[in-house]
Amino acid sequence: MSGTVRLEGVSKHYGRVRACDAVDLTLEPGRIHGVLGENGAGKSTLMKILIGLVVPDAGTISIGGERVALRDPLDAARHGIGMVHQHFSLVEPLRVWENVALGEAGALRPAAVRARIAELSERYGLDVDPDAVVGDLPVGMRQRVEIIKCLRRDPSILIFDEPTSVLTPAESSLLFDTLRHVVVSEGRAVALVSHKLDEILQATDEVTIMRQGRVVDHVTTADVDAATLAASMVGRAVSLRGDRIAGAVPEAAATDVETAAEVLRLDDVTVRSRDGRILLDELSLSVRAGEIVGVAGVEGNGQRPLADVLSSLLPLSEGRVFVGGEQVATGKAGAMARAGVGVIPEDRHDSGVVLEMTIAENLWLVNPSAIARAGVLDEGRMRAGAERLIDEFEISCAGPDAPMYSLSGGNQQRVVLARELSNEPQVLIAAQPTRGLDVGAIEYMSDRLRKAAADGVGVLLISSELEEILDLADRILVISDGRIIGEMDRHEADLGRIGLLMGGQAA
Amino acid sequence: MSAESITTGTAGAPTAARPPRVRRPEYGQLAGVVGLYVACIGAALALSALLVEVTGGSSVDVFSALLNGSIRGDGRIGATLGVAVPLLLVALGTILSNRAGLVNIGQEGQLYIGAACAAYAGTKLGMHGPHVVVLVLLAGIVGGALWAGIAGLLKYRRNVPEVLSTLLLVTIASQLVGYGLKNQWLLLAPAEGRSNRQQVSRQLSADTRLPRVTWFGNQFPISVFLAIALALLVGAVMVRTVWGMRLRMLGHNRRTAQRAGVAASRYGGAALLVSGGFAGLAGGAMLAGGDFGNYTLVPGFASQIGWTGLLVALVSRQRAALAIAMAFVFACLRTGSSFVASTGVERRITDVVQGLLVLALLVPPALLFLRQRRRAQNAAGDRT
Repeated sequence: MSGTVRLEGVSKHYGRVRACDAVDLTLEPGRIHGVLGENGAGKSTLMKILIGLVVPDAGTISIGGERVALRDPLDAARHGIGMVHQHFSLVEPLRVWENVALGEAGALRPAAVRARIAELSERYGLDVDPDAVVGDLPVGMRQRVEIIKCLRRDPSILIFDEPTSVLTPAESSLLFDTLRHVVVSEGRAVALVSHKLDEILQATDEVTIMRQGRVVDHVTTADVDAATLAASMVGRAVSLRGDRIAGAVPEAAATDVETAAEVLRLDDVTVRSRDGRILLDELSLSVRAGEIVGVAGVEGNGQRPLADVLSSLLPLSEGRVFVGGEQVATGKAGAMARAGVGVIPEDRHDSGVVLEMTIAENLWLVNPSAIARAGVLDEGRMRAGAERLIDEFEISCAGPDAPMYSLSGGNQQRVVLARELSNEPQVLIAAQPTRGLDVGAIEYMSDRLRKAAADGVGVLLISSELEEILDLADRILVISDGRIIGEMDRHEADLGRIGLLMGGQAA
Repeated sequence: MSAESITTGTAGAPTAARPPRVRRPEYGQLAGVVGLYVACIGAALALSALLVEVTGGSSVDVFSALLNGSIRGDGRIGATLGVAVPLLLVALGTILSNRAGLVNIGQEGQLYIGAACAAYAGTKLGMHGPHVVVLVLLAGIVGGALWAGIAGLLKYRRNVPEVLSTLLLVTIASQLVGYGLKNQWLLLAPAEGRSNRQQVSRQLSADTRLPRVTWFGNQFPISVFLAIALALLVGAVMVRTVWGMRLRMLGHNRRTAQRAGVAASRYGGAALLVSGGFAGLAGGAMLAGGDFGNYTLVPGFASQIGWTGLLVALVSRQRAALAIAMAFVFACLRTGSSFVASTGVERRITDVVQGLLVLALLVPPALLFLRQRRRAQNAAGDRT
């Protein structure tokens, strides 16, 4: 086994964004090192640097005191670094041994591969059958196949990226047992990347906490508790922006909100995916007219299915959805839009715009009948309406007939916003509405959402950026594993508690 | 907007006045497209000429026979128009389903079933009079639509890709019509009425045929006008109507369409039905028009019109108006090549010549499509 892995001053910039900013990290043999942080904190970039997928702009990496250059994953593999990715790269119709043998150079020796799998499976108690078809295996088992793929090369350094995001609690604890075994008995170094506080506490020896590309803290796990970790993870950045906002924007009169009519209500909404995983788990929430309700949480905890349900893209397995007091069918084309649910989707190219159609057509996408007589579109009214919205929402374009793909991302987002607001919705779902926008565009979007609420629209803001939620929301819900696990008023918002909740800990 | 005041107060990055990033359609681009076609057709002609000369034929003879057979010879334009009608009708249906994001490639079968239904309506129901011709065409539409409807049911009930089902249904259609032509209670004409021992249907009686007109010595069925009118109608429907707009939405972005109220099964299913209806109408018009099978349903009646119609749609790049011209061009290749045989050049060689010319028409749209998609992808990639 080679020695300690040391990263010093490692930086990686993408344009103006600092994904990693002078990061130091030390992985010791025989220890599990947790890397904790929110989405976009730079964890993934850092790990990609370690396995050679990303080449850093600055900084040095040394293994056992010797400086190394990791130009590609093969380099990293030669130095004994292996990674188990969050998203599996398995070929489902193939058998386990075939998947393990994929990507190996040289002659294929099925017997040897099978024997190796059996040996690893035995040694680490993984219980993997080399001849099983991967497509038939449950998720937890698939992850073990990934682990075997990694262990097969006898790595001295193992990286696990959000390993439990797809696992049940029982499967997670099995995984951690295996991890312990690997580390303690064989002197390998393990990096465990996670946003879940309890698994960091449960499984690691030391923790490095990252925020906005920087290392903000490095502690021994035994010395800290969940609250400390949570505070470090969400940290100062939030309160800084909170102060600024508090100074810049007068507090909205929130008095009438409490008596306003309920415009959106979800009752015990459960959604199961095709392979039986639970995406939303008896989730209930309600939004009143004129209120901005923020759904905070680490990405991948049910935000996407929640928005999809409200976009008529996903039918419920159980539960009911009410808009303006009326129950609305889910998964039925256009039903939510007709009931008065406007949506600014997380990925506008996926379900917000049609890039190949014109701006005018995109502005009338949801409701073309409004500008049609007997099913025939009235070109004049279509253009006039589009021009009005282009002016009102300051969309930079060559005119209503320009194709949608000719617009910049920020302007495409404005087209979506203009369309959804012009349909006078009762409820507006804004899913990650400012992702990828520049500062000015973010402020514009925030302002529009506030204005919509002031006009009596109930706004459901789904965001993984806590700052955005604290900035806009009157009421904050925290989502974790498809459930709302905490609710608080904006005034009593307690960062520590939100951090704990986002980390999946009831508080 | 108050947004600006907030912005200037904090970040100092003004939101407004970003220069518009729009590519206007340029005339240079149009010239490029024309140039591309000229280059491709020129290359195909040169290659063809070379091939014919090398194998001992006369390229001048071949090309002149092509022209004579399609447009130059007496009355040949009429014959070409008669072939162009079903090609155009098939292409229109294809364009419509393509726009909805569906790949219906079973027109050959839908056309055949349509023709069979038309033949049944025209010969077995014992009706007479000019109104029967309308009934014959309607029967064709219904037959084609039902045949495509099977693929629609399979797709939206059982998730069977329509590419496969429509294609496989072609084979079944040909077997089914073959069965009809073997049985007198279905389509087979009584033995005494048949001119030969072939299994054919009864001929449409004179008053149940499409009227033919003669312009400048060229005789053609009035379905020519119907087909052109339908082409213009399809073009207008796709751009100018709510239904057409929703079909395009579905074709471009299924999830956005679903959110906006376009149910894939309803609109996609309708597009398949209409598309099959067009192919069936083509079959009915072929039967009642007289240019194919002499008003009689014969084995192999579809004569690859369904397949060629697909090519017409492909080279028209989903534009109904352009399909009018392209259908004529492909009809020229077909009627022209029947004259090429008389030049003495070997059949296989003339087939290659024809194939080269078709390829020359197919390459530019493919290149244009790739360029357009790359541009859209680049635009999509810009956002991050």
